[in-house]
Amino acid sequence: MRPGPLRSGLLPSGLLRDLALALAALAVFLAVPVVFPQPALRDFLIYFFAYGLLAMSLNLLVGLTGLVSFGHAAYFASGAYVFGLLMQSGRVSIPVATLAAVGGTAILALVIGAICVRLKEIYFSFITLAFQMFIHSIIVTWVGLTGGDQGLRGGIPRPPILGLDLNDARTLYGTCVVVFVVCIVAMRQVSQSPFGYTLRMIRDNPARANFLGVNVVLMKLGIFVFAGAMASIGGVLLALFVSGAYPEFAFWTTSGEAIFMIMLGGMKLFLGPLVGTLLLQTLNHFVTIYTEYHGLVLGSVILLIVLGLRRGLADYLYDWLQDRRARRAPSAPVPEPVVKSRPV
Amino acid sequence: MGTKRTGARAVSRRQVLGGLAAGAAITGFPHIAGAQAKAIRVGMPTILSGRVAILGTSGRAAVQLAFRQINEAGGIGGRTLELVDRDSKGRPDEAAKVTRDLINNDGCEIIIDGEASSGAFAVHEVIRDLPVLCLHTCSETSSLSADPKLHVKTAFRCARQGIHDAVAGGTYAARIAKEKGLKRWMTCSPDYAYGRDNTAEFLEFAKIFEPSVEVVDQVWPKLFAPDYTESITKILQVKPQAIYSALWGGDLVAFIEQSNLYRLFANIGFFSGGLGDPPVLTAIKQLPPGLNTAYRYNRNYPAKPANAAFADGFAGIAKHEPTNWAWQCYTACLFIAEALKRTNGSTEGARLAAELKGMKLAAPFAVDDAITMRDTDHTIIGYPVAWGRTVPKAPYVEDFSGVDWAKIVELETQWKKGKGYA
Repeated sequence: MRPGPLRSGLLPSGLLRDLALALAALAVFLAVPVVFPQPALRDFLIYFFAYGLLAMSLNLLVGLTGLVSFGHAAYFASGAYVFGLLMQSGRVSIPVATLAAVGGTAILALVIGAICVRLKEIYFSFITLAFQMFIHSIIVTWVGLTGGDQGLRGGIPRPPILGLDLNDARTLYGTCVVVFVVCIVAMRQVSQSPFGYTLRMIRDNPARANFLGVNVVLMKLGIFVFAGAMASIGGVLLALFVSGAYPEFAFWTTSGEAIFMIMLGGMKLFLGPLVGTLLLQTLNHFVTIYTEYHGLVLGSVILLIVLGLRRGLADYLYDWLQDRRARRAPSAPVPEPVVKSRPV
Repeated sequence: MGTKRTGARAVSRRQVLGGLAAGAAITGFPHIAGAQAKAIRVGMPTILSGRVAILGTSGRAAVQLAFRQINEAGGIGGRTLELVDRDSKGRPDEAAKVTRDLINNDGCEIIIDGEASSGAFAVHEVIRDLPVLCLHTCSETSSLSADPKLHVKTAFRCARQGIHDAVAGGTYAARIAKEKGLKRWMTCSPDYAYGRDNTAEFLEFAKIFEPSVEVVDQVWPKLFAPDYTESITKILQVKPQAIYSALWGGDLVAFIEQSNLYRLFANIGFFSGGLGDPPVLTAIKQLPPGLNTAYRYNRNYPAKPANAAFADGFAGIAKHEPTNWAWQCYTACLFIAEALKRTNGSTEGARLAAELKGMKLAAPFAVDDAITMRDTDHTIIGYPVAWGRTVPKAPYVEDFSGVDWAKIVELETQWKKGKGYA
């Protein structure tokens, strides 16, 4: 689990391990429809992928850099709208529309981030929220382009890509799996790169990072843009799935949900937000079946986790495993330091 | 440590995994386990929580009433109708997800869409993908059925719509304006797409029928605003002769309650598209007499025994008078039952859709003999689009004045041409 100098060929051992895990995850996710053919499970997972990317990308800001953004859903919505509008124009293919959505969102995040990252703590949080509500207002009021509060109407066409017909539910699911896993690997590599470790240093002590010659604003801006771009891919997946884009994607409650996901899963583990996403979406799915008082139930569960565990579920399990491992090795003369930023 | 380890092994990993799998199976597929083979499952994505929950809860009660009556009458060839409802929380993406879930997981063969506005468009796209029969029962946005680009073969609208209301409202307002000499008009509508579109359409037709109508000012309070003082004082400053408002639900209740404090309605004619819902009327503590409102629902209009029986049956379930969404959902159930009878119980979307096209239904709410599901654009006509005046006590609205449907259809056709829909 510790970072080390071991290398296998040209690739660092950490990257090899990540790639191996990613391939395993890819195989498991692709096997799901074969083992469990129920379409509902596929639908649930696509939803999980979309919101998982939103939460994971937000955690690059919250957990990795210490920037608590309240407006991250703006980039999620931007991806969905740019993709949906381009596809409805009928002039571009899905990959081109996706790239344009990611590129366009990255530019948007660059402009907004250039203003936001200069601020700290609560001021940063509130200005991100302000920009999100600004974008939400644009979506709602620019009816001619966005459909206003009705959203993009008429569906999003899914022309074939290299012979792949995304109108087929299984193909759509497979495509979402591949995109999701690639994005997670990309975020993992950024998190484990020297850039990622610089962000941790900025999170822990920005003054010291600055003193060491790190351009703190530029580093923050870099991760802000990257996180926005990753969130936009979540928006693209959701737009593809629901065949539309809606102003609710850009509303502050969507950002709030992403923060809930991170809180539920935890920030310490790289995949913690995904655990939170799974937990929240599962609870949401099943509680909604049985009662319309789901807010009460979800709130109670969140309270229990926050007050009872005092950390995310994944963090709690990880700490518990670490403690258990430490207790099982009492003979060791000096306990090895646990490098907590490494685990997957 | 040793004791702890023994204790930990008392429940093995396999047992834990087995228990989890069993738990998942029990919690994950409750509806399939409980399903009756004979039942035809009808899914209903709708809003059951939040500010507009009454939309979903009243619609659901109406469906429960209709299904109970249909099942007690022998069902469809011996098969019963079973409702599976699900809360979308008013989120379009959630509406799409739960609709797919209702079809794919819960085995629903027909969908009654109880979503408002954008949620209905999201459900519409799901039905394009999964072509079961779907009846939209809440969305009043005309383009859902009027725009041929949005046409879905198995999707129908069983709800009132903006353009019909605009023609009826414009006709009525023009008549009253002519009678009482109301020339200076103001509007006070919520600041979002529906509020602005609805207001524009109302004024467009009012001016067509009475060219002397002049709009002297417009105020746009925010949706779900708690305080309307600013709008009310503006109205008092401008002193119009009449006001049109597209406010609805709790916003409209708050506006009227606050306007009463300023005696706003003493000398100003008030026209509302959303006041006619009984729960809104009963929520206002001091309902001023003489306010003009579009029909949303009334047990006395159309004056038919079946309508009063529906109101009584609904009140027995929901413990309040029916809403606009209730009669629409009830009518949708009647359309579904009739289509199922004609297909001998086949739930195939295309077959049911073929039967629904042009179907005439002697519903309790039909203005004349029947409500018709128009075959060209899959939407209903012949439903009540009357306007009436408020009275402080039940039935709260009376003197309903209808509009000839032939005239509505004629103007609707012109509107469609103007929009490029026809």
